[in-house]
Amino acid sequence: MERNNHKWEFREGFLIGGCLLAAGLALQYILGPVDWRWLAAPVNKIVLALLTGLIAVIFLLRKKVQAFEWMMHSYAAVSSLACALALTLVMGLTTQKPSGGLEWLSQMIRFWPFVLVWTWVLIVDGLAALNHFLRMRASEIPFILNHLGVFVAIVAATLGSADMQQLQMQVHYGKPENRALSEYGEVVDPGLAIELHEFTAEYYPDNTPKLFASEITIHTRDDSHLRGTVLVNKPMKVDGWKIYQAGYDQAKGSKSPYSIFLLVKDPWLPAVYAGIYMMIAGALCLMLFMAPKPIRKEDEQ
Amino acid sequence: MSWDSFIYFALAAVLCWSTGAYFAWKGKDGKVWFFTLAGLAVFFAFIIGMWVSLERPPLRTMGETRMWYSFFLPLAGIIVYGRWRYKWILSFSTLLSLVFICVNVFKPGIHAKSLMPALQSPWFAPHVIVYMFAYALLGAATLMAIYMLFKKGKSMDRELNICDNLVYVGLAFLSIGMLFGALWAKEAWGHYWAWDPKETWAAITWLCYLTFVHYRHIRPADWKKACLILLLAFICLQICWWGINYLPSAKGQSIHTYSTR
Repeated sequence: MERNNHKWEFREGFLIGGCLLAAGLALQYILGPVDWRWLAAPVNKIVLALLTGLIAVIFLLRKKVQAFEWMMHSYAAVSSLACALALTLVMGLTTQKPSGGLEWLSQMIRFWPFVLVWTWVLIVDGLAALNHFLRMRASEIPFILNHLGVFVAIVAATLGSADMQQLQMQVHYGKPENRALSEYGEVVDPGLAIELHEFTAEYYPDNTPKLFASEITIHTRDDSHLRGTVLVNKPMKVDGWKIYQAGYDQAKGSKSPYSIFLLVKDPWLPAVYAGIYMMIAGALCLMLFMAPKPIRKEDEQ
Repeated sequence: MSWDSFIYFALAAVLCWSTGAYFAWKGKDGKVWFFTLAGLAVFFAFIIGMWVSLERPPLRTMGETRMWYSFFLPLAGIIVYGRWRYKWILSFSTLLSLVFICVNVFKPGIHAKSLMPALQSPWFAPHVIVYMFAYALLGAATLMAIYMLFKKGKSMDRELNICDNLVYVGLAFLSIGMLFGALWAKEAWGHYWAWDPKETWAAITWLCYLTFVHYRHIRPADWKKACLILLLAFICLQICWWGINYLPSAKGQSIHTYSTR
């Protein structure tokens, strides 16, 4: 077979972007918007295995398939980033609605082309991380931290979103509460009850809010009782849940008869944080080691 | 040690830092290091004094965090100077540090007075300051790009190199600011990323600078297109910073708005 000598560059990259857009539109038309709940465990673990497997296969066949070879270079990075940039720009310029509505662009995180293009970015990014990792050199550590960090953080955040529970619980004085409302409007038992002792709201002289706090006891299934105060920016932690001060009866202010809490459980959070910490370390490396060597005046003369 | 003596320590430190910054313009490295480090020592002596007299690390109030930033800025400045020899960096860091010192001297309670609950967090200062620093560096890179686009001919190697360096350091600060924001959002709102308009535009800005870095890598000779990407990136940065307040798609949507009614 005659070897094709045409070198892949940006044109091919934008062609791939166009194909992903077309495929995404078709999927959107046939399946409707992306329903992230499909990904709930164990599906997200299978998707993770498939994604890493795909990256490994592309890497192993890079010498055989020109398109795979191309994926290893910055051409692919620039094209995929530019496509993701274009779609995220559309998202920034359109009003996003949390739910409902059939317009495709107003729920961009459920728009198939958006999801496909970002997946492409992550595959290119993961390939770069793998490629540099296998060189096993200390000088590659900054590059690996940056690229692997992005991969771990975004993949874990996306796949983990289906396993994350965000519940709202409204607790009245004297009535320990164990029912909460999910983001989809279902009543859920989080496996703990909250008893409200005192809700405090303080205001500045100009009536802007200064402090909201709820003194509560959390009763868990194993019959332990945890007393504490939940403030904005200071959630309480119990049994894998983080409990946030989320609201109160605004008309009654400090005399509110109830306090509203947000209960969040996110089993993938440690992975997301691992990625975030890698990115922070990578950013420090970026400023210390990765910038090109300066040309000084004296070097020129 | 108390806030009463802050002004004397701060004045002495700023004097040292300014002298160091002056010698940076003159290219006298030894004196740059001597005066900058002397200023840092004076300032740190005050921090230690506060630490001892408060019997706790002075990191709780806004004034205390501002004090740390007044200290960290010249420290970051001298590190950057040591690596890249930018003549202007120490003047810049001293000036920024002076701004925070002045806030502490003249309006010690400015934040304690009406800081709403969501903002009362140790993440507040780092998140904002790191972003401010990033914006300043990327602004300088943009000016350099405009200069290059208008000044035709000749070799642009040195300008391009400064531009790259500014973007690398600026992008690093931009990323750290964004990630600090994510860690803070988890504590304050329950989730680290919610595609709030401010967050969406932060992602857009970040993608622009990533595109620039990768484009420079693969097409080093085509600096004109790279400069255009930088211009686009800076426009996005402005939209992210204050433009979203006027953007129809973001109006009333962002929880990043802290204006009081």
